[in-house]
Amino acid sequence: MKKRTRKILIDIAVAITAFVVLVMELYPIGITVLNGFRRDIVILSGQPFKLSQLTLRSYQMVLKNVGFIVGMKNSIIIGLLSTGISLFIGALASYGIARFRFRWRNGLAYSFLVFRMLPQISLVIALYLMFSFLGIRDTIGGLTLAYTSFNVPYVIWLLLPFFTAVDRAYEEAAMVDGCTRGGVFFKIFLPLVAPGLVVAAVFAFLNSWNEFLYALILTGVKAKTAPIAINGLIGGETLTWGQVCAAGTIMLLPVFAFTIGMQKFLVRGITAGGVKG
Amino acid sequence: MNQKNEYKGRAREKAPFLFLAPALLVVFAVLLFPIFFSLIVSGFNWPLSEGAGTRHFVGLGNYIGLTQDPEFWNSLKLQLGFIFIAIPVELLLGFAAALLLNRDFFGARVVRSLLLLPVFFLPILSGLTWRFMLQPRYGPLNNLLLKLGAPEITWLGNPITAYLAMIAQDVWRMWPFMFMMLYAGLTAIPAELIEAAEIDGAGFWRKLRTVTVPLLTPTIMTAVLLRIIDALRIFSEVYVMTEGGPGSATLLFSLYTNRQAFGYQKVGMASAMAIFLLVLSIIFAVTLVRRNMSLDVLEEKAGNR
Repeated sequence: MKKRTRKILIDIAVAITAFVVLVMELYPIGITVLNGFRRDIVILSGQPFKLSQLTLRSYQMVLKNVGFIVGMKNSIIIGLLSTGISLFIGALASYGIARFRFRWRNGLAYSFLVFRMLPQISLVIALYLMFSFLGIRDTIGGLTLAYTSFNVPYVIWLLLPFFTAVDRAYEEAAMVDGCTRGGVFFKIFLPLVAPGLVVAAVFAFLNSWNEFLYALILTGVKAKTAPIAINGLIGGETLTWGQVCAAGTIMLLPVFAFTIGMQKFLVRGITAGGVKG
Repeated sequence: MNQKNEYKGRAREKAPFLFLAPALLVVFAVLLFPIFFSLIVSGFNWPLSEGAGTRHFVGLGNYIGLTQDPEFWNSLKLQLGFIFIAIPVELLLGFAAALLLNRDFFGARVVRSLLLLPVFFLPILSGLTWRFMLQPRYGPLNNLLLKLGAPEITWLGNPITAYLAMIAQDVWRMWPFMFMMLYAGLTAIPAELIEAAEIDGAGFWRKLRTVTVPLLTPTIMTAVLLRIIDALRIFSEVYVMTEGGPGSATLLFSLYTNRQAFGYQKVGMASAMAIFLLVLSIIFAVTLVRRNMSLDVLEEKAGNR
């Protein structure tokens, strides 16, 4: 009996501590979202938060801001394009690694894993020179291509655990029935791994959505993405924190929707599979 | 595995190549070729625009130039300091939280999931939010200081506080990542082992030292290596928060490389820095992959399903 009350007391203490830590940890996110609903003049005066001062003005301003709208449009297009391409190419390669035994197989698989971890700054200078030479700097196609450089290796390793988990019997049966390798892959195999494809698509999209450095260096006016536009909202004398926060909150919506919807896969998403454990 | 089956016939031999070809093509075009090209550019005095000088071969000149550049050593020092301060703090916080939250109290699941939100907060938004919080006059932190009667601090205007603020930003965003990894490792420890230690009369610290930490070490190593690799790449948060300033107080390696190339227009020099960072990153990435990632384990796990 005594041990039981002790356990309950500890549980209550832990719950209170956890709650306090959580509130402190989420405070910066909270003020970002709240400030999107406050006027710049209120934010800059450092007044305490008042419910009656909530307004949609910053949202109205930011949705009328041509730079941000163009950035948003580009972010969505580049995100979808790069996700589609990386998913297709990555799924093919992942299948090649999961289902065939060939020389260099391990070396190749591990190389893709290392490629995923290379610093972007090490690639972006060369990409800048190459893209300038080819005339694809500041184009949607160019930035999409640059984004596939990290998304293809990422998708390959995110998909591998899903792919190796599928029993070969399905494909072998289809092959006996006269299906070609390609037919097996598209008609039999891909439907079986649909959940994996969804997870990979979501994380590949988020990678592009959050990306900043490539967009900063490889775009100028036409193909700039939303993160660049948001950073452009603030600087020097213009202290439009309300608009920054409103625009930021809009960008956060898909991120947090996916994060909450994909609880089960978050660890896999971050480490991209393959962690011994 | 049916290896025999896979090697049968020439058509089968080609099959893996057909599946891998598109990925290899992309990797060559936007990864391997740029690296190779950077290596070449790093051997030249290569101005970004024509007005900034002439392009000519200098051999190892850029690499030698780097060793004599105090800014290079400064950025390296800042980068290493960042890694050696931020990551241990993140590890300790994450470990403490994992131990604390590894029990079933009311709302435990919700707390555990919500704690992860900062990890997925957009990096640039994180940098901007911290910049806002640390502003003089209207920033919440200085507001609090003023209310307490303390003098306000221009956090981002002072080299030391700006450096610490940049680290605080990273700790805030990434300690939940450590928590997530370590919590997953902790729940994988068999309950019998902990119970056996309890029956032997081990107290909290003894259990921690003899059971939990040894069993968690591989997970800790993985998490730390992942964080080091990530920290070597850090750019956007710091760029929007301080732009490397004041002066070059927060000019981490990636930021200095960017400034060399697009500020000072010395593309050759910047490429030499890019190659240096690349080699460093590959060393850590290969260590991580060799220690902790395995294709065979992946397949064994799949076989057990």
